Amino acid sequence: MGYYDVDEILAAGTKFSCKFNYDIPGLGYLEGNPGRQLNKNAKIELPLWLASVLAIVTGDQEHDDEEALPFVQFLSPEMFSSKVVNAIKSDAPTLDVHSISGQFYTLGIKWATLFSDVELAGVINKMLLERALEINRHASSVSVDAGVAPSDSTGTLLMTLDEFEKKLYKETHDTYRDAKLWLSRR
Amino acid sequence: MYGDLANKLILEAKRTQQLVNTNASSELPMFQEEMVHLILKEVSQLQRNAEFLKLQEEGGKVSKCQYFVTMLCMERNKRCLLAYEKVRSEVLASLAWEHNGMEFFSDITGKTQDSGNLSHYEQEYLKEYSQLVSDMKTGDLIDVDLSGSLTPPSDVFIDVRVLRDAGEIQTEYGVFNLIKGSQFFVRQADVERLIQQGYLQKL
Repeated sequence: MGYYDVDEILAAGTKFSCKFNYDIPGLGYLEGNPGRQLNKNAKIELPLWLASVLAIVTGDQEHDDEEALPFVQFLSPEMFSSKVVNAIKSDAPTLDVHSISGQFYTLGIKWATLFSDVELAGVINKMLLERALEINRHASSVSVDAGVAPSDSTGTLLMTLDEFEKKLYKETHDTYRDAKLWLSRR
Repeated sequence: MYGDLANKLILEAKRTQQLVNTNASSELPMFQEEMVHLILKEVSQLQRNAEFLKLQEEGGKVSKCQYFVTMLCMERNKRCLLAYEKVRSEVLASLAWEHNGMEFFSDITGKTQDSGNLSHYEQEYLKEYSQLVSDMKTGDLIDVDLSGSLTPPSDVFIDVRVLRDAGEIQTEYGVFNLIKGSQFFVRQADVERLIQQGYLQKL
């Protein structure tokens, strides 16, 4: 989770659909037509690095009795919809996370932090645990000979991992392989 | 919109990372001079926007929002540029440790096959970093070969086979006549460098 972390930067570039709470002239380029004003309640796709700040910063209060609204409001994304959450709950290990998002965990953490979403955090936590077991199972069954392609089931599993899990798999796999190599060369 | 170019650059950085991870000795891909230049141009454009917004400051939420968006775009571009350069500089640093620190510290030029792929500043950086490494090695820690192999030695004497003809090579501990295909039984410490350079193969 560093400033220079490439995966983190890629995750922050993911677009979310948002709704503007104010009329803002001069920001039409966010919508794709520069020179026009951005209308109130316009729905646009904003990258997370922009939207997460604009969703916190508030405009000035127009009337004292009103609470100040932030500039934009997140619309609940497809990625964390109840459909996906239900799919995770039912069978996490066989879920194709990569097709949902390549950066599912990073975005999940960001989202849960942004909205203090305890339920989502719990779901993702459990999901990671269940999937990690599966990843470990595949990573530990390595053959010592170089050049042997992973088995079909491992291949299909690899296609469904998100970037974080791929890193996890690679590191586990390399550790097991090195340990085996060392033991067999004694 | 703003930041799209920076995204492309980050994808390039990711590709570089994967390339370096998969085969350790791979060379760094070409520095994306044009893309970096375009991003910098975008940043200066954003800066002009920001200055313009500051001039016609009338306060209120509208200018606040515009100013914020401009600033965030600049920040994003900065982060992407820095991350890209950081990925490359890490590769350069590991190059300096692994390949430039050989035996006689022969001149740096020519050691990196891809010096054409580096930007001018990166070449400068590599040169100065290598200098730093060699300074450190010739300082207080001169008895330890800091850029030497990190695998712990297990045998004092080893068999080696010559992979490449190199004629007579003078090392600090004696003279070898390296003829392709011949084998030697030597002290490991003497030939470690030659193994690293690829003249010898450990058996």
